[in-house]
Amino acid sequence: MKRIGILILLLVIYTTGIYAATGCDLNEPDRDVKRLFPGSTGFKTSYVSIQQKGGKALQTKIEQRLGDKFTGMYETMDVPYTVYEIYKDKQGIGYIHGVNQKGQYGGIQVFLALDPKGVIKTLYYQKMTNQSAKAFRSDTFTNQFKGLSMKDFAAYSPVTGKQDGALAKIKNPAPKAVQDFRATLRGIKKNLILMQEFGYTK
Amino acid sequence: MPSLFGIAWKNIRRKRLRSILTIIGIALSTWVLVSLLGFNQGYESSLNKDIDNLGFQVLLTAKGCPYEAATLMLKGGTGLKYMPESIVDTVKANPEVEEVTPMLMHAVFDPNKGEEGGITAFLGIDPVTYPRMKTYLQFQQGKWFNQPQALEAVFGYEAAELEQREVGDSYLLPEADVEIKVVGVLKRSGTQDDGTIFLPIRTLQKVYKVNGQVTSVGIKVNKSTDIAKYEEELYKLPDVQVVSMAQVKQTISNLVATARVMVMSIALIAILIAMVGVMNTVLMSVLERWQEIGIMKSMGAMTSHIFKLIWFETILLTFVGGVVGSVMSWILATATDKLIRSVLPYSPTSALVQIDIILALKAIGIIMFIGIISGIYPAWKAARIRPIEAIRSTEGEL
Repeated sequence: MKRIGILILLLVIYTTGIYAATGCDLNEPDRDVKRLFPGSTGFKTSYVSIQQKGGKALQTKIEQRLGDKFTGMYETMDVPYTVYEIYKDKQGIGYIHGVNQKGQYGGIQVFLALDPKGVIKTLYYQKMTNQSAKAFRSDTFTNQFKGLSMKDFAAYSPVTGKQDGALAKIKNPAPKAVQDFRATLRGIKKNLILMQEFGYTK
Repeated sequence: MPSLFGIAWKNIRRKRLRSILTIIGIALSTWVLVSLLGFNQGYESSLNKDIDNLGFQVLLTAKGCPYEAATLMLKGGTGLKYMPESIVDTVKANPEVEEVTPMLMHAVFDPNKGEEGGITAFLGIDPVTYPRMKTYLQFQQGKWFNQPQALEAVFGYEAAELEQREVGDSYLLPEADVEIKVVGVLKRSGTQDDGTIFLPIRTLQKVYKVNGQVTSVGIKVNKSTDIAKYEEELYKLPDVQVVSMAQVKQTISNLVATARVMVMSIALIAILIAMVGVMNTVLMSVLERWQEIGIMKSMGAMTSHIFKLIWFETILLTFVGGVVGSVMSWILATATDKLIRSVLPYSPTSALVQIDIILALKAIGIIMFIGIISGIYPAWKAARIRPIEAIRSTEGEL
């Protein structure tokens, strides 16, 4: 038994694992799902990637809709996105989906709780590294996104940062952190596009 | 007058197809033999290399929970114990120690991680000694820190992916609100380093006010050192815990010994197959040439001439087969490596099959020795042929 233990230790220390990009999961799905969908009775987890759903052509389409190119080492086709389908008894009542978005001082994990039609119920920052993170994570700021959907973000350009329509009313809660405010809007738009392109919402 | 060697070569060429098939058989046996010997040689050195890549054979931590990572998981980063940095000099003073690297693990509560906050851990390292010990760490981007007190960080691949950091990006140290620059992102290594954020130890000590403290010391001892004995020495230091790789090394040695027995058994089977194959081919050739050998003897060929002729044929066949097989094993080394890797439950990272010229020469020598031994009986049989009886019969009998 001792030998097996040591061998396992060796394998853990020195295993040549399967190397793939990592996605964005809820830290504690059971607790987080209950909090984001108080009436839910269960959920199903699926893993989807752009590579799997359409490859380069789909990535190009998503980039066009986003109005920005995928950039950096980590925004790649093979990133597995975790989609939580939420149920109340046997009825689907919505989704939770998160994306990793590059922020000024660290990664921002932008999670959306959506109804079956793709309307935002809750915006949840699972992680944010910024001196003003508290302001971004406050209900005052996040509640402004309630009721918005893809159509409200369609005209938003992450490159220029110009906000129109319902989006224009949302103000940056921390004027010094413009980069993270824009990153948030980009992350939400990308999140909504992915949910449509993966076939979960319309 | 042609030499015996020339006649032997001519005989081999006369029955071309049979000779080629025999050579293929010998070559296949040689391939198996060289590959197995190459595996035997490569597996051990590869496993040892993996152990060396772990960086240090002994890890010294403050008494308590022996693993910093376990402490972080069990106590949420609050239970880390420190040792005075002076311990590094004490350890270094021992002549059996080749290299020492101090480390400082520091965990910080980040309120903006998850719903109720979470722990972010940093590893403070010495930019001079740590990279020398962890030679397997390679960079995806950038390099190690420039200065021992630089406000810079190197991210393990997964840590960088989580934080979406690349070289040139800024990173904010939680709690301290100090901005640092990312100067390197490591390639995936399959180890815990993938999830680590490295900072120069002086920077970490200064930023989080843990000056003069370390949480662990990595020790690399000389190859000849008896690690178990050295561990006992370390326990004489006050309030330390020793975590050693000696047990892992022992397990590896056992694995190597088991693999060696297995490999040698298979090699022996390969040798026996080659031996029987060679003997069969040469014997068949002798039986077919029964009359011919009888005529040679009646024309004045001595018993020793016939014996040498058949023996040379055998040696020639095994030599050509041995050379072909050795070349084949060298060409197919990568494929053999992949094949073995696919069946082994754990395989080290570097080459499993290591074939060099010495090994190939050894294998050719073994195969030729087999030829010499296997050729004795057919040669002896041929040498004993009686000319009159042989000329009368069409074929020989065993």
